[in-house]
Order: sequence, then structure tokens, then C-alpha cells
Amino acid sequence: MNDPLLEIDDLRVDFDTRAGLVQAVRGVSLTLGRGETLGLVGESGSGKSVTAQAVMGLIDVPGRIAGGAVRWNGMPLVGEGVRRRPRRIWGREITMIFQNPMTSLNPLMTVGAQLGEVIHLYLGLRGAAARTRAAELLDAVGISGASRRLDQYPHEFSGGMRQRVMIAMAIASEPRLLIADEPTTALDVTIQAQILELLAGLQEKLGLSIILITHDLGIVAGLCHRVAVMYAGQIVETGTVDDIFARPGHPYTQGLIRSTPRLDAVEDRLVSIDGTPPGLRTPPEGCAFRPRCPAAQAACHAPQRLASHGAGHVACCRAGVDAWDVGAA
Amino acid sequence: MTRDPALSVDGLSVDYPLSSGGLFRRARSVTAVSDVSLQIAPGETLGLVGESGSGKTTVGRAILRRVPASAGRISFEGKDITHLRGDALRKLRARMQLILQDPYTSLNPRMTVADIVAEPLLVHGLVASRAEAAREVRGLLDRVGMPADAADRYPHSFSGGQRQRIGIARALALKPSLIVADEPVSALDVSVRAQVVNLMQDLQRELGIAFLFIAHDLAIVRHISHRVAIMYAGRIVEVAPREAIYERPVHPYTEALLSAVPVADPPVQRARRRIIHPGEAVDIADPPSGCRFHPRCPIATERCRDEVPPLEPKAEGHMAACWNRGGVMGLRMKVHS
Ligand SMILES: Nc1ncnc2c1ncn2[C@@H]1O[C@H](COP(=O)(O)OP(=O)(O)OP(=O)(O)O)[C@@H](O)[C@H]1O
Ligand SMILES: Nc1ncnc2c1ncn2[C@@H]1O[C@H](COP(=O)(O)OP(=O)(O)OP(=O)(O)O)[C@@H](O)[C@H]1O
Ligand code: SF4
Ligand SMILES: [Mg+2]
Ligand SMILES: [Mg+2]
Repeated sequence: MNDPLLEIDDLRVDFDTRAGLVQAVRGVSLTLGRGETLGLVGESGSGKSVTAQAVMGLIDVPGRIAGGAVRWNGMPLVGEGVRRRPRRIWGREITMIFQNPMTSLNPLMTVGAQLGEVIHLYLGLRGAAARTRAAELLDAVGISGASRRLDQYPHEFSGGMRQRVMIAMAIASEPRLLIADEPTTALDVTIQAQILELLAGLQEKLGLSIILITHDLGIVAGLCHRVAVMYAGQIVETGTVDDIFARPGHPYTQGLIRSTPRLDAVEDRLVSIDGTPPGLRTPPEGCAFRPRCPAAQAACHAPQRLASHGAGHVACCRAGVDAWDVGAA
Repeated sequence: MTRDPALSVDGLSVDYPLSSGGLFRRARSVTAVSDVSLQIAPGETLGLVGESGSGKTTVGRAILRRVPASAGRISFEGKDITHLRGDALRKLRARMQLILQDPYTSLNPRMTVADIVAEPLLVHGLVASRAEAAREVRGLLDRVGMPADAADRYPHSFSGGQRQRIGIARALALKPSLIVADEPVSALDVSVRAQVVNLMQDLQRELGIAFLFIAHDLAIVRHISHRVAIMYAGRIVEVAPREAIYERPVHPYTEALLSAVPVADPPVQRARRRIIHPGEAVDIADPPSGCRFHPRCPIATERCRDEVPPLEPKAEGHMAACWNRGGVMGLRMKVHS
């Protein structure tokens, strides 16, 4: 196997808040290969966005990298071993689409001017050449009438089109990794389908690697090669998308899949995971899912480690059972 | 079925005033909902889906008499309530309750949970004393699976799912026969959604409450609804029992919508074909003529541009509004005769 493009190694991120120390990311390790799409799923507050922000070098006070490292092509990028801030990577080789498209576009600048800035900064093009490239980018993300559209302001675009503009900006520098944080959450399903199709197409055409953060297991099923499941600041399971859905190893993953109704079937009753995730100010000893887990045993009070569940599939639980059948019995 | 529907809406339209920036201001308006008809039987859940801006919330608000109908008739438990006022309207409001999307803003942060749940009981004079109210509140909180010690705490100390339960307890306090639930689980975490969906299903089975369940999520709607209505640009384009909608959709928009929803099963999802229609959501201030879906419809014909297709039966209990997807009913009758 060739070297991974991105390695996250035991990454820790803390936030100093008035209420105390929040351990948002507690020892996350992940690798991403070239041309691979990794889905990052988990509850709200589990640390998905903070992990992505750490990779982008965006953790700032009150937050800090409290341990671990991120390496890009084997080179230290964040955390341990970093000597100089490697600015040529962020925004150029690694780009990100943020959770809220409205706040990431400047309402006072035309779309063309905003694209032009990125193109100038990273490709060194100006004037007519930059404009041509900007029109090509809008075209690539499926916005028709591109040359006219360049002179319009963000408010003249629909939500779906603004998201396409965000994607156009994110691929303008011809990056190798695109991090998309909930890129379609605010959009209607028909528009969402268009955006996902677009991402899949770009990935194939440009050989992009993608980290896709989402709540929607359906999106993961259709677009990702591998999946990492986060819970309370930790990765509790990773594997190929087929393995994770067919043989989820962690009770949280099992519950997540079984509590999601399917479009193509009717279940009599959904599995309901009682309780709520733990606060991250005093993360529990041992397995963070224990208070909600129907398969919990005394051993779960001790710290858990990721253990193999088959080739390329690890889960942070040794129970190895279908927790939710145990719970029903 | 001879029982009166709990709710019957006939030809409902709702206009919103539109502020015009022009020099010669004229009172302009947009018609957010046009000629909507639907029925909900007692104890039935009707799912209402459609894209953002299609008018779902507006239909719900009109039913609850929170926005005026500009045309049409709303009947509740056999009575015309379209123009009720004053005391009669207040009494009516007790029988129809609303559950909202955002459990973070829909509860008053300065009231204890007990006061929040008791408020409607006191306002409507349904309890004689505070002690009686407290008893009722305990029962209601228990009913929605909240611990007894929740009563004296404030909303901020609860999670989203718990707050939604508090909202449901409050909605149940007056023993309504209809609940309009407007995106009740959209703001909740995936793992918590199932808790609330299961609770609503239990309530409906045990208490026989009729639900209008408004949502974006077609998978949840399939799970919870008996029948489903699909809205597009202010009109209902299809309504049918849930199996019929999901397994045998008639309207091209319903087909497109269903094909766009990803299925959480990798081999299945990879094999599915999406019907991707070009074009953008409709500007409701300037809707397309005829069938509002015609600019995006793959089978549109001349007639679709000129004439509004009526919502008419296409199969047993299955209504759709499309000029070019019809005759199913006729076909069936031929087969049967
Ligand atoms: N700037 C900040 N200051 C303090 N705490 C923060 C900050 N940013 C994030 N956190 C905390 O870090 C934790 C992880 O947050 P994060 O945004 O990564 O969650 P997430 O998994 O992306 O959730 P969602 O699905 O809701 O987007 C949360 O508990 C959050 O409150
Ligand atoms: N108070 C209002 N004044 C003017 N226009 C309004 C008002 N409320 C809604 N509208 C418009 O009416 C149309 C229908 O809105 P409505 O909120 O009913 O849609 P919806 O289907 O509930 O959408 P969503 O899924 O986004 O909640 C939209 O075009 C909206 O902009
Ligand atoms: S009426 Fe015409 S345009 Fe409308 S959905 Fe049917 S075929 Fe398409
Ligand atoms: Mg996030
Ligand atoms: Mg709405």
C-alpha cells in the first residue's frame, strides 16, 4: 500500500471555556489515502468539525492542540514536529467547505471577485485569464450562464447555487484534499442529490481525496469508501462503508444504523438509544457510550482500545455482539 | 368509513403581503398556498412533505388559524372553523396543538418545566388548583418519559430530545384531538430522533390523536405516516396511503423526490438511479403557469404549460395532479370488469 496522504495521529484538542476545560477531541487517529472518500459521522458535539478545523490549522484560542499530530505526505502539519507554519498547504492543497455557506461568502463582493481572489492567490492568474478560469470553475460546478453569473452577488444565488459557488472556490486551487463539513445539510434533497453527484464527479475527474462530515447515513452509503464513527471526541469505529453497514462492531454504530428509518422499507419500531451523550468537561472513564449501552459490562469501565473486527475494520468495543438485540431480550 | 374526519381542508389558499420597494406602492401579495384540500381521520397521521418554501408550514398555520385563509374552508370535527373568533377560537385552540421544530427556542427559558407544562391547563381553567395542576404535570411528564425531578428545572438543563419531550407534554396537556407537528425531529441528533418518533407513535396509538406531520425527511415520514401528501410550489401534487406513495408514485415530482433521497445501505444506494431534474426551486411570487412543475418535468406537454392539472383519483385512495400520468383508475376498472 502506498503512503497515506493524510495521517492524524492521537490528536487532542482542548478548549478553555468559562465553565472549564472542554476536551473536544480526545485521541483521534485516522489515515486517508489518495483519491479516497472518508465519511466522518457522529452525534452533534462529538468533535467532527473540530477535528477538521485542526487539520486545517484553524484551532485558535480558546482552543489548542493538546497532543498528537497531523501529517501531510509524511510531513508534520499540525502538533508534534511542526517547525514552520506550512501555509502553502492550507487553502491550496487542502481546502474546506464550511458548515454554513452563507457566512463563508462575502455578501459585498461579486462571486467573480471572490473567485478571482482565490485564483490570483493560488494560481497567480489575473485579469482576463483569471476571469476565464473563474467562469470555467462555475461551469464545472454546474452553474449555467457562468460569465453573467460572475458579476452577481451571493444574495442573487439560491442556497444550492451558493453551495456550488463554495465548492468552486474550494477546488479553484486544484487541491488534493477537500474537507466538506455538512455540505448539503441546509439544502433540499433534490438539490442535495445534485451537489453529491457533483462531488463524486469532481473526485473522479481530479483524483481528489475527500473527508465528508455528515449526519446522514444515506449520504455516507452512496458516496464514501470508508467511514469513521465519532462519539464524545473519540473514534469508536472505522471500516469500509460496506463492512460498517453490514457488520457494525460498536454498539453506538449499531444503534445509529438501527435508529435511522429507511426509505425503502418499513420497520415496525425504531431502535431508540436512550439518554444523551456525555459532557466533554468530565469525559467518563472507560467507554464513553457505556451509560447508554445495552451491552455494557463491568469491563467497560476500563479504557477501551480499537480492536480488529476483520480486515481494515476496527471498533472500540470488545462485546462483539448485536447490542440492541441483547437490549430487547 | 363513515366517521367524520378530524380535519377537513377544502380549497385552502393563503396569501402573504409582499412589501414592494417601488415608488408607487401597491399592496402586492404572494399566494403561498393554493387550493389545498386534505383530510385527516381521527387517530391518523398524515405526512406532509415538499421542498423548502413549498408551503407546508403555511398549511399547518392556517389549520391552526394562525394565518387567515384567503379562500377555502377548514372543518374540524365536523364544524366549519374557517372564520371562528373570540371565545370560540380560544376553545378550539385547546383541541388543536402545535409542536415546533426548534426545541431550543420554543420553550420559555425563564419558566420551570412544571410551569411550562401547566400553563395551558391554567389558562384554559382546566384545573381547579395548583396542586391539581402539579398532579397533572407529573402524569404528563411521566407519559413522555421524563424523570419526575424534571419538573422543577429550567429548559436549559435539558438536551434537545428532552426539550422536545417537554414540548410534547405541554401539547398533550389539553388532550387535543389534532396535533400539527412542524419538523418536530429535524433539529435533533440522529440517535435521539428515534426516541421522539417512537414517543409520537405511541401517543397516537394510545390516545387516538390525529397528526399532521410536516417534515423534509422522507424516510421518517414513511415510518410514521398512514398517508402522505406531497407539496410542490404551494399545491398538493399527490396524496396516497404511504405504501402507494413510496412504492407506486404517480407524479413525476414525487418520483424525482424519492429518487433523490439516499438510502442508508451501500450496495442498494450505489445501484440506485437518480432522476435529476435541472432547474431551481420555484419563485412563489411568480410561479410557472399551468402545472407548476412543468419547467422541470421530463414528460411535460403543451397542455401542462397552459392548464392547471386537477388533483384527481388515479387509483384507489390515490390522488395526483398530472395531465400525463393518468388513466390508472380507468385501467383498473377495465381490468376488474
Ligand atoms: N470555539 C469553541 N469554544 C469552546 N468549545 C468549543 C468550541 N468549538 C467547539 N467546541 C466544543 O467542542 C465539541 C465538539 O464540537 P464540534 O463542533 O467538533 O462538534 P461536531 O461533531 O462538529 O457537531 P455538529 O454535528 O453539531 O456539527 C463540542 O462540545 C463543542 O461545544
Ligand atoms: N410571514 C410571511 N410573509 C411573507 N411570506 C411568507 C411568510 N411566511 C412564509 N412566506 C412564504 O411563503 C412560502 C411558503 O412558506 P412556508 O414556510 O409555508 O414553506 P415550508 O414548506 O414550510 O418551507 P420549509 O421547509 O423551509 O419550512 C415561501 O415562499 C415563504 O417565503
Ligand atoms: S402535468 Fe405535465 S408538467 Fe405537470 S407533472 Fe404532469 S406531465 Fe409533468
Ligand atoms: Mg460540526
Ligand atoms: Mg416550514
